[in-house]
Amino acid sequence: MSAEKTKKTIPYTVPIGPVHPALKEPVMFTFGMEGEIVKTVDFAPGQTHRGIEWMGMRRNPVQIVHMTDRVCGICGIVHSLSFARAVEQIVGIEVPERADYIRTILHELERIQSHLLWAGVAAHELGFDSLFYLAWRVREQSMDLIENLTGNRVNYGIIQIGGVRRDISSEQRPLIEKGLAYYQGLLDKMATLFLEDSTVRMRCRDHGFLSENDARILCAVGPTARASGLNMDVRQDYPYCAYGDLDVKAILPPAETGGPRGDVYDRIIVRLLEIGQSVEIIRQCLESLPPGEILWEPKMAKLLAACKKAEGEAIGRVEAPRGECMHYVRMAGKEAPESWKIKASSYSNLMSWIPMLQGEQLADIPIIVASIDPCLSCTDRVAVTRNGRSAILTKEDLTRLSREKTRRMMQ
Amino acid sequence: MNATSHLTPQEIVDSYRVTFGDGLVEAKITERGEGTKKVRGYNIWLRFRRDLFRPAIQKLIEIRFPHLAVIAGNDLGSEIELLYIFSVFYGQKFGEYMVTIGVRLPKSDLTIPTITDLIPGALFSEREKQEFFGVTVTGIPDGRRLFLPEDFPQGVYPWRKDETGIPPEMVKNLWEVGRPKDRPAPPVPEKAPAPQGKNEGGEAP
Amino acid sequence: MKIPSSFNRSLWVFHLNTGSCNGCEIEIVATITPRYDPERFGIRLVGSPRHADVLLVTGPVTRKMAPRARRVYEQMADPKVVMCIGTCGQSGGVFFDSYNLEGPVDQVLPVDVYVPGCPPRPEAIIFGVVKALEKLERLEAQQ
Repeated sequence: MSAEKTKKTIPYTVPIGPVHPALKEPVMFTFGMEGEIVKTVDFAPGQTHRGIEWMGMRRNPVQIVHMTDRVCGICGIVHSLSFARAVEQIVGIEVPERADYIRTILHELERIQSHLLWAGVAAHELGFDSLFYLAWRVREQSMDLIENLTGNRVNYGIIQIGGVRRDISSEQRPLIEKGLAYYQGLLDKMATLFLEDSTVRMRCRDHGFLSENDARILCAVGPTARASGLNMDVRQDYPYCAYGDLDVKAILPPAETGGPRGDVYDRIIVRLLEIGQSVEIIRQCLESLPPGEILWEPKMAKLLAACKKAEGEAIGRVEAPRGECMHYVRMAGKEAPESWKIKASSYSNLMSWIPMLQGEQLADIPIIVASIDPCLSCTDRVAVTRNGRSAILTKEDLTRLSREKTRRMMQ
Repeated sequence: MNATSHLTPQEIVDSYRVTFGDGLVEAKITERGEGTKKVRGYNIWLRFRRDLFRPAIQKLIEIRFPHLAVIAGNDLGSEIELLYIFSVFYGQKFGEYMVTIGVRLPKSDLTIPTITDLIPGALFSEREKQEFFGVTVTGIPDGRRLFLPEDFPQGVYPWRKDETGIPPEMVKNLWEVGRPKDRPAPPVPEKAPAPQGKNEGGEAP
Repeated sequence: MKIPSSFNRSLWVFHLNTGSCNGCEIEIVATITPRYDPERFGIRLVGSPRHADVLLVTGPVTRKMAPRARRVYEQMADPKVVMCIGTCGQSGGVFFDSYNLEGPVDQVLPVDVYVPGCPPRPEAIIFGVVKALEKLERLEAQQ
């Protein structure tokens, strides 16, 4: 089936993707298989490399914040937030408390929309297009809320060094509360749709295993690591923004569903439960929103002058929807930072594809690959190789195989 | 999991000082508090002499198996400093520390041993440092290029600030490119006033 | 926005990512969800360039993706329309001085419709596709 395609599909194996953004990026899979089973896995990223860190070393911090918004469109404010926090530590800026709370509210709203995006993508890979449309339709509610608060659906542009650029007025609060009530009422329904369905259970349970030890030595982060039993969440471990005042616990698959087993089904559980947790956090933040200013220094010239004199190095870490996002910044008395290193959450998670995919069937690859929620514009392309017969398959083939398997299992 | 219970940052620094003495070139603890209660988060910065690099990492693994975030680097003129950023004691509420272990490598001898036998998750980061700084990681199981395209010229290291950095002729200013000349003129007149439906920016409805 | 009265074909659209941040991707996928529903115009996304009439290109073209973009363009059958979505592909956007980018999309492929925005709203993308439809009808009438 696939051996004949080896020569003909090389031209366009890379930029193919039916519908979804998570794997719409250039992803090339090169498989060598034994029958239908995957044997070995290999990596080769490099498609969306735009030289962001190099460009950042030529610009001043305010311009860099504008650019970090666009490192990845799905991870809305996490990159800007980590960078701003790192610079604030170097310059010695004390962020006003109200700004911390507003940052937390937007951070959690972004988490809700990112998890719903992923839920739709996963449903599409399994062949449930109606669930895909439902999840994205439900997501539009949070996009409306975000647009009301920040002015744009994607790329919010609300983080500034020393605070946030827009405030939450008293007219906007009832809107936020209405949105939260909507999601709270919906959560049980989504949990039933995703978790009680027998086909989802058949496809996702016991596939894509990542043991706890593998997750630890491969440095996995986020829901991928939590589904395997690692108790790590930056909001719980290393307080930032308003999380020091709240009580956030890392969500691991609960005992009712069998405890953490590290398969695809557990990752679905973790993400759906996190949506409920985000709704709670936003509600707590709204209740105790402190009054005050929202920016440390509203005049940009003074802000840039303060940044120019600063020296030192710092690390800014946040918990993105996909895991831990970390920026290391070093400034040495010039306008542009001397060094800047971005670590996106998918950077750490990509290596966990290797043990997950070994021993799996070809038709299970799309859902396993999508289960770590790869944001490849934060990272890059993947090539998978195995010994034995080698073939190059397009992404369309993989998705088709995955959906056919669902149909077979439903009979 | 090791049985070492939670240590304070100063205890970690002291135990390193005891083991390595003068090999620990510099030790620093920084902290930061945010929100209303200003709960503190701590960062520990340790810089070692070059030959003590692997023992330092092994000692950290003994304290508690760390999570490697990323390997960052600085170009300091005649030396390149590599910073291995770890985090330990995750899982305890507000109890995690970032531990950064740094070594300096002179540009005349840019080699460093690999740590993928201790922490397999370091492979990506080490490959990235090889292609962006020109560091040779000895013993690395897979030393291919990671992010840069295959036809990227050898010997050009993007993050270096000296003559091996990106030369100006490789930089393309995208905004300077004008309208392509070989396309037919559009069928609408150039000066048409924008009618109501032409709001193609990011405006709210 | 008005659909031309000679509307007698449905548009099949193929999307190509040449290194974008994914913001435009999300808005393109959000466009096909039930809220905006372009399927009532007959517009749908397909998985192969050989079936498509319209090519949606997003992102500043990275060096690795430029030859592949050209190959995809050549595989499409005439008459075809190329749309450039997002500011990255038109002037670089925030990535205006990089060492790994081949430049705006119109240096690599001939572009017919530009939809600016970072990212453009789903309504803007639908409007752009309808413009592409008008151009396609004109091209077909000329043939």
